[in-house]
Formats: sequence, structure tokens, C-alpha cells
Amino acid sequence: MLFVLFHLGQERYALEAACVVEVVPLLALKQVPKSPRGVAGVFIYRGRPVLAVDLCKLTLGRPAQENFSTRIILINHGNKPGEQQQLVGLIAERVTETLRREKSDFINPSLQTSSSPFMGPVLMDAKGMVQVVNPGQLILEELGALVCAPQLSILGANLPAEVIDATH
Amino acid sequence: MLSRGVNSAAQLSPAPIRTLDDCWNNIGVVGDQTCRELTRHIHCQNCPVYSAAAAQFLDRPIAPDYRREWTEHFAIDKQIATPAKISAVIFRVGGEWLGMPTQAFQEVAERRVMHTIPHRRQGVVLGIVNVRGEILICASIGKLLGLKSTAVVKRQLAVFGRLLVADWNGQRVAFPVDEVHGVHRFHAADLRGVPATVANSTISCATGVFPWRNFTVGYLDPDAMFTSLNRNLS
Repeated sequence: MLFVLFHLGQERYALEAACVVEVVPLLALKQVPKSPRGVAGVFIYRGRPVLAVDLCKLTLGRPAQENFSTRIILINHGNKPGEQQQLVGLIAERVTETLRREKSDFINPSLQTSSSPFMGPVLMDAKGMVQVVNPGQLILEELGALVCAPQLSILGANLPAEVIDATH
Repeated sequence: MLSRGVNSAAQLSPAPIRTLDDCWNNIGVVGDQTCRELTRHIHCQNCPVYSAAAAQFLDRPIAPDYRREWTEHFAIDKQIATPAKISAVIFRVGGEWLGMPTQAFQEVAERRVMHTIPHRRQGVVLGIVNVRGEILICASIGKLLGLKSTAVVKRQLAVFGRLLVADWNGQRVAFPVDEVHGVHRFHAADLRGVPATVANSTISCATGVFPWRNFTVGYLDPDAMFTSLNRNLS
């Protein structure tokens, strides 16, 4: 299994590459008024509006640094096969590496913190521990009904056109 | 003493970045090559220390126009070029550039001594040649297609005549040609019909023409070619 590695602060986390659609650079984001904590804004990806979630803001309380290595990991969280892709962009720091590990290399942490159940098992490599993040769980918990609706409900009917204008 | 790696990093970035240990300049391939890891990685390019140092260069603040440029790039639909599906060997006979499906060819050989066959000097068959120990019929594409031998414009590059060995449904024939360009791929959409004004027997063998460089290349159908050839052999 291939994992995309990213950093939150000094800690390293992994995201299964199978759910990653594309890793794109930090793009200009359209701010969404009254959005919940962690929602950085909306950007246009290949003609459709996609919500960007700042993982640093979500977990550390500070926005991600505007570096070249800070990238948007586009994940598909549409759980049913054949369904239209449901994209969400995760802004994470230092997205520069991948890691290949087998399922048998996972170590399940003995203690599960109830506050963040989206944190999955742990992988070890030369530099230490890497925690696997469950993207579906993360989206469900942090954004819930916001993105699980067929259309992003925080996007008003006229918002996509407005966003398209803003990006040009 | 400041090392080379730190110097270049300072030029690239206005913000100070962590001091780089440029071990590749000291004990690596650029230095005295005493690094123990070299036996495992052979070159510094394969070493994780080297790639980790490279990744540090990405931990710099982004340029002012960076976000805008990439936003424009990702807003529009991805342009995926469909790969060209038809593959043909392009060669020249006289003044005419021709192409035939690559599957029909076995090899491009050098010109060699050809033995003529008595009482067979006028037709399509030029003689027989020895290709890897096998006697093959050597046929003239020009005569088969009814091409007129035209004066060839002299070009500066050296041009070598070749022997194309074709195999179609088990029948192997050698065709001497004046020049072979090689394999060229093109889209089916680029294949256009043969102009109705072309009034020679090329029409029966060519399924279409396609553009290549500044030329229009006749695309030959091997089925029609070999049928026509067999008619001439008997």
C-alpha cells in the first residue's frame, strides 16, 4: 500500500494513496463566510468548486504556512463505487514524500483517544512513527453534513459562478 | 566555513533556512567518496539524506504570483492528448514518400547483391536476395504501384538505400527502397482519403494519405499490396 506523507507541526501523518485523486499546489481560495473552523475556502478544480480544509487549522489551531511544500491533497470521499467523485481538498504542510508499507506493518495503538477517532494505526519507518489518517472519518466528523450532501451545502446557488469569476 | 550548498540556498530564498549539511560535497560523490553509505546507494542521488536536503528547499515561502498561476492552471479542464494509434514505417521510393503498417515489416536490412532471374527483367520482380540465409523475392514497389521514376531533388544529408523485409500472412518479400525514415505514429483522424485526381494504380493499394513533415505520405494497405504482387508473380 502506498501512503502520502504530510506534516502537522512536527508530527508526520500518512494518507492512503488510493483515496488521493491529485496533490495540487497551494491555490488561491475563495473565502466562505461563516464557515466552520478548519474550512479554508473554496477553489475551482477542473471546472468544479471544491472545499479546502486546512488540517493545520483543524488540529493545531493555526493556519498552514504558505510554503512551496504546503500542498492541497485532493481526496475522494464518495464511499460508494460508481458514484460521482466527492472531492475535498486537505491543506497540509510538507507534502513531499510517499511511503510504501504492507498492511501487516501496521501497529494498532493500544490507546484510542476518543476526541480524534479518525487517527488510525501507526507505521514505523527510519525516522520514527507515522500515524495513518482515515480521511472518510475525518471528513465525517469535522465537516459532517456540510460536505456529505450531494452538493456542498455551504455553496449557495449562485456561489460557483461567483467563485469562477474570482479565480480569473 | 560556508559550504556551497548553503550559499546557493541563501541566494534562492530570502528567508533563512536550516543549515544544510552538504555531506555530498565532503564525503559523497563530489567530495572524497569516503561515505560508508555509498556502498549501499552507489550515488548520492539515491541516498535519503540527499533527498531530504532537497525537500528542505520546498520549505520556503511561496512566490507572490505562485498561487494565482496555479489557480488558473487547475481551474480549467485537464487536456489529455490521446496517443496516436496507427504505426507505420515511412520510406521513400523515387520521389514518393510511402508508409505501410509496421506490423507488415520484419526488418530493415542493408542493400545487398541481388541475383536477377533470367527472362524476368521487365516485371515487378527484380530478382532474389539472400536475407539471413533465406532466399527472398525482391520486388519493386515503384513498378508495383506504377510510380514514375522522377528525378529526386538532391539533399545535403547522406541518403542510404535500404532493403525492407516485409512479411504478410507468412509471405516474405524484400523491397528495395531509396530511403527509410523509420516508424511514425499518427492518429486515425489524420488519415485522409486518397485525392481523386491521383490517376495511377497507387489508389488501389493506398487506403489514404497522412501528413508527415512537409510531405503527404501515401498509406499502403498490405493486403492490397500483396494481392497485387501475387498477381504479378504468377
